[in-house]
Amino acid sequence: MTLAPEALAELKRRLREAEDTIRAIREGEVDALVVGALDQEEVFSIGGDADAFRVFLEAMQHGAAALDGSGRLLYANAVFAGLVGHPVEAMRGHPVADFLPPDMAALLERMIAAPEAHPAGLPVVLATPAGPRHALVSVAPLKLGTTRGFALTLTDLTERQRAEQAERSGRVAAAVIRSANEAVMVCDLSGRVTHANAAARGVFDGDPVGHLLAEIVPLVFTGSLAPADTADMLRQAMSGAALQGLEAQAPETARINDLLVSAAPLMVAEGEVAGCVVTLVDLTQRKALERQQLLLMRELDHRVKNILAMVLSISRRTRRNSTGVEDFMESFTGRIHALSATHNLLAQKSWTELGIAEILAAELAPFDSVSRGRIALAGLDRMVTPRAAVALGILFHELTTNAVKHGALKGEGGSIAVSAGSEPGGGLLIDWKEQVTDPVTEPTRQGFGTVVIAQSMLHAPGGGTELLFEPDGLRCRITIPSEDIA
Amino acid sequence: MTDTPKSPKKLVLYVAGQTPKSLTAIANLRRICDTHVPGEYEIDVVDLRQNPKLAREHDIVAIPTLVRELPVPLRKIIGDLSDEEKVLISLKVEG
Repeated sequence: MTLAPEALAELKRRLREAEDTIRAIREGEVDALVVGALDQEEVFSIGGDADAFRVFLEAMQHGAAALDGSGRLLYANAVFAGLVGHPVEAMRGHPVADFLPPDMAALLERMIAAPEAHPAGLPVVLATPAGPRHALVSVAPLKLGTTRGFALTLTDLTERQRAEQAERSGRVAAAVIRSANEAVMVCDLSGRVTHANAAARGVFDGDPVGHLLAEIVPLVFTGSLAPADTADMLRQAMSGAALQGLEAQAPETARINDLLVSAAPLMVAEGEVAGCVVTLVDLTQRKALERQQLLLMRELDHRVKNILAMVLSISRRTRRNSTGVEDFMESFTGRIHALSATHNLLAQKSWTELGIAEILAAELAPFDSVSRGRIALAGLDRMVTPRAAVALGILFHELTTNAVKHGALKGEGGSIAVSAGSEPGGGLLIDWKEQVTDPVTEPTRQGFGTVVIAQSMLHAPGGGTELLFEPDGLRCRITIPSEDIA
Repeated sequence: MTDTPKSPKKLVLYVAGQTPKSLTAIANLRRICDTHVPGEYEIDVVDLRQNPKLAREHDIVAIPTLVRELPVPLRKIIGDLSDEEKVLISLKVEG
């Protein structure tokens, strides 16, 4: 039997085709077969159902793609497409690297070359229309039917990182608030306190959390540009204004009255205000110090003026009764020293009351060599006001210098007894009594000392002095008014 | 002198839904045609999973299979068309 050349050629073509089909199946170049007789054809996948794989892939929450052995994309889910920024249909059949940023494409190439080298994946940053996304890329070998390829997954870590960062920021913020020395309170948009540190709880004698700040801390601001009240301050701060260093009074708070207040918007995201952060610094102590300082300045001014007036008066009267410049210098210096001695004592005692014995001792000190053992003191442990102390200081100075020049301390044998006793009206009577050997005569003219002595203690009712030239020695009765007895 | 009308050229690619080899074959065929014979061939992709009976026309057994329907003689290339040289030879050899 002889075949026509055309029939033979057809047979050869069919044989070649059959052989080619068998070879392709054997070598895994096909992954589906058409099986069945006429009108009964069915298509069977070799090595598994790719549709099930695709459904599974689509259900995954991570970005996932199947690549063939050369890195071309076979399937990808919507999450993957979203992260990469290209539709699945556009990428299918093409090298996936063509759709990735160059650095990530290079990374993928290395991972495909050695998938086992990075089992935990590598971090990448993908630029998406919604902003950069931080993802973990991993590659694992995959066999789909007769195709060997790779599973590529992109795990979006952005939200997790954001949450971790927010939590970390929250912890840091809480720690900052906790460790702040100032009272710090955070209010929500309604002005209700949501956070407060220990210092804030100390200020308000309780926990301010949950209360409206305007109700528990009604502030009264000073200054024309300051907010009207607490609610106004919160409104201004939440509208974006940062208010710093506002002096305010909080008359209704338990422990603090004067405050330095700062308020700033609580920014939780770009341009998003979630409330207000209020910082309160206690100025009560500082204000009290300022008030005390002002008081002291005024007191100092008053005293300086008094002293200058006193010095001028001493100078005038000393000049009037001086015989010459030397006499003036001696008397004037002695009196200024007397004044200074009492002032020294008062300064040591912070201008509180002084003991009479102390004042007398300070005035006797320059004459210690002549007065030692000749002065008897009794009942001088009483205290007097600074005003009386200054007057007593000058009075004792005049009595002492007079005794040295003309009286009991002039020669040998004289003595002085100084005693004090209470008066019926509450005042104090000091009795200065000198004992001399030569009889005493009243001087014909009044010197400065006599005038000073006579006019002492007249600054208040019930006070005064009496000078008696008794034959056996001078006597001076000094009455200190009750209001000057401490 | 008048233009000689070009002889029609037609390729039919038989695939089975979206199996890996089918997807790869489609991508490879488009790339090869666009690169080497742009605009020359009318390409018809037939999904046998949708309509298995269409396998009968070209007596298809294994998928994917590319059939050069025109110009005659008819030629078949079985597989995912990864071997570009082999595809080009089959497309360009006349008769």
